[in-house]
Amino acid sequence: MRRRTGTAYGFLAPYLLIFAVFWVWPIVYSFWLSFLATRQLPWTFRPAMTWGRLAVDPAFVNALKNTLLILVVQVPIMIALATVLAVLLNSSLLRARGLMRFAFFAPVVVGEVAYAAVFRLMFTADRGIVNKVLEAAGLPSVDWFSNPTAAMALIIMAVTWRWAGYNAIIILSGLQSIPDDVYEAATLDRVTPLRQFLFITLPLLRPVILFCVVLSVIGTMQLFTEPFLITNRGGPGGATETLGLFLYRQGFTVLNFGYASAVAYTIAALAVVISLLNLWLGRERA
Amino acid sequence: MAGVTLRGVRKAFGPLQTIHGVDLDVGDGEFVVFVGPSGCGKSTLLRMIAGLEDVTAGEIAIGGRVVNDVEPADRGTAMVFQSYALYPHMTVGQNLSFGLRMNGNPTADTERRVAEAARILQIGPLLDRRPKALSGGQRQRVAIGRAIVREPEVFLFDEPLSNLDAELRVQMRVEIARLHGELGTTMVYVTHDQTEAMTLADRIVVLRAGRVEQVGRPLDLYDDPVNQFVAGFIGSPRMNFLAAESLGGGRVRLTGQGGVEIALPVGRGLAAGQKAVLGIRPEHFEAAGQGDCDLALVVDVAEHLGATSYLYANTKAGEPVVVQAGAARSAQAGGRVAVSIPAGRAYLFDPDGLRLA
Amino acid sequence: MTSRSSRRFWRQVGLHAVLGPLALIWLLPLWMMLVFSTMPENGIFSPDIELLPKGQFWANFQELQAETGFLRTLFVSVVVALVTTGLSILLTSMAGWALVRYRFRGRWLVTALIFGTLTLPYFVVVIPQFIMVARDMGLQSTWFALIVPPLFNSLGVLFMRQAFSMMPGELFDAAQVEGVKEWQIFTRVALPMAKPTLAALAIILFLASWNNYLWPLLIASDPTMMTAPVALGTLIGFTRVSWAAIMTGAVLLTLPMIVVFIFLQRFFMSGITAGAVK
Repeated sequence: MRRRTGTAYGFLAPYLLIFAVFWVWPIVYSFWLSFLATRQLPWTFRPAMTWGRLAVDPAFVNALKNTLLILVVQVPIMIALATVLAVLLNSSLLRARGLMRFAFFAPVVVGEVAYAAVFRLMFTADRGIVNKVLEAAGLPSVDWFSNPTAAMALIIMAVTWRWAGYNAIIILSGLQSIPDDVYEAATLDRVTPLRQFLFITLPLLRPVILFCVVLSVIGTMQLFTEPFLITNRGGPGGATETLGLFLYRQGFTVLNFGYASAVAYTIAALAVVISLLNLWLGRERA
Repeated sequence: MAGVTLRGVRKAFGPLQTIHGVDLDVGDGEFVVFVGPSGCGKSTLLRMIAGLEDVTAGEIAIGGRVVNDVEPADRGTAMVFQSYALYPHMTVGQNLSFGLRMNGNPTADTERRVAEAARILQIGPLLDRRPKALSGGQRQRVAIGRAIVREPEVFLFDEPLSNLDAELRVQMRVEIARLHGELGTTMVYVTHDQTEAMTLADRIVVLRAGRVEQVGRPLDLYDDPVNQFVAGFIGSPRMNFLAAESLGGGRVRLTGQGGVEIALPVGRGLAAGQKAVLGIRPEHFEAAGQGDCDLALVVDVAEHLGATSYLYANTKAGEPVVVQAGAARSAQAGGRVAVSIPAGRAYLFDPDGLRLA
Repeated sequence: MTSRSSRRFWRQVGLHAVLGPLALIWLLPLWMMLVFSTMPENGIFSPDIELLPKGQFWANFQELQAETGFLRTLFVSVVVALVTTGLSILLTSMAGWALVRYRFRGRWLVTALIFGTLTLPYFVVVIPQFIMVARDMGLQSTWFALIVPPLFNSLGVLFMRQAFSMMPGELFDAAQVEGVKEWQIFTRVALPMAKPTLAALAIILFLASWNNYLWPLLIASDPTMMTAPVALGTLIGFTRVSWAAIMTGAVLLTLPMIVVFIFLQRFFMSGITAGAVK
């Protein structure tokens, strides 16, 4: 290939312009911001007011704890569910395959606001459909929005509903790249379907599942709309406040840009560390 | 029309040099074939002539004009690619006319050229089809047609037949030879297949590892290879090589044969005890006793093709030897045969592979 | 033989016994969205479990439109999504093309920079983006603010780069030898061949823009420039508008995407899995 730097940058220019102005510069700028006290003008260099404040701010610690809780509980549940769904949806025994896939994949296209509205309405404590069903089944109704544990469970359910299908699609594509003859050989060797799943499917899916885990970790670290809209700004009393919501509050309600930037970089650092940790735990052991 | 001249042409990718100074003159109207094993640089050299690769050093001239800095489209060349490179979303007609249309060539002239190319290649009925609906041979014709419509001074072919099956390859080979006869245009053709090279070329350029090993007419290369590499590359099945040792005075002993000796005048230059390699083509063996040096062989596999037979055999020392034996129908795997080397047909190479003559 | 086919039968029963109810639960929120949007407000909170649609959709929607001017916000959403998708496809496919087709100074650096942002949380850039657009440029609640900053995405480049690199390079060389200009090779040869990829990318980008919430929430608070999700979000948790009316908005936001999903499922799938294949 001939070296054609000019032509190449001609094609790249519009994209790189947007990239430089709206991404590269902001990445640098917010790092600088994270050291500035921005509560009042003029902004001054006072890291103690941003990075220093993180460790001692109970609201931040609370948001961090909630986010990590969601991470530890929701991500494994969702990935396990998505894996099982992918395997079942891939089964040759399945009837009404199109409808089944639609049921689990459709949430992928539903906007956060629309589904937040429906979940909020369905889980309304007083005569919401979920509580009506619980009562009809003879179970106690749950006060989804004022009980901290229930509110957290609701967020986890909502996120799982929205994203399980998305991950299942990715895992399904991984499944379909496993050649059939591997299973045919296993069947001839009298390996039961369950064992085939455990000893053939799962190991071969490992890279895809890891990819899903990393995506989910990054997504969870930025969780914002669900606690913002479903549990009414992280309620009750901050029980579902996440890092994303905390950042939104600091950045765009209080307009404390410096502190919010420090939170943003904390989120990014945590996302990287936790993703790397996952990759390390799930690495191929020689 | 124009010839192509290469002067000290080099190509380097960073520190890695792949073409080490090639000098070559392709005459006007000549059909020159670059041949060599994969990785020898033959395609790179062709792409440099086409202008698809930069020339690191040296000069390439087409029709007397140095084209190092000329855009590919302005070099007066047209290229046929190994994968055919047909645009899958265009019909055959659109494929043929695309380049002309994009360059604002008058419509009437474009149509004339497409019709002419279609006539030469007999692809008129295919003009409205897409490449997907064509057979391999038809695609190949379209790819050639796309080169023809440019009315180039030089045609460049990059392994154009390697994606075809054996039968079509022979057929297209004949077509390309006919095309060259009809158009009389300079053609530079790259292949790894020495049969294609032998049948098509006015002159063959044998390349190895970015260097020209030998340039010459096909039969000259066959009869008169300058080194062991060319000797082994030209001719099919390839020439047999047997380890030898000079006894001095033009006598050579085949070391793998337990002391069989043969007198080869060309071996006079070798001091006694010096190692050498004796080369003999499969088709040049004679019946035992009729040549100058008998070999006892054990047949491994015998292929009887009817008109001729190939015996894949081993010497006592386990050196593989292929014998083309017109009359050896009776030879069977596991059997023993004796053949003889006529001294006049044997080649002798020194330990560096250079032919002793 | 009987035991074999009966084992297969029971396996099939088991599969559907697990997947069937789960699928119903998964469908429930979408179904209830539709049902709620057609109910009178007192129907939603009646003591009975109502699972079938009624006929009040139009009345509920009129309430939403009267209170919020929802049609205007839908219009803003459609324009923003269409323009963003179109421009973003153009920019990312040009960039992807450059990365595949040319060897150039800085190629490694550009590639690393673009894909380095793939996993970067959006929060790291949203604050400066907001400061720049709202304060420094003074462009709050404008088309520019809604469309231009979200144009950058590395997934599109990744996607297009993959599509172009699957095409045989000889095809572009052939066009080049024929004297076709690079821009024409891009628009007349490469892009037409990448149609399936372009379709998948368009769908994914349109969906992302259509559902985008945080950025429009921050940057376009003026009622005339609000996008539909933002407008709907302002209603949740307040009693200004009835739940049934909110649900009509949710249905209008969701239904078009569901329809697109049903008919263009293939492109959706390849769009979603594109990032997973390296």
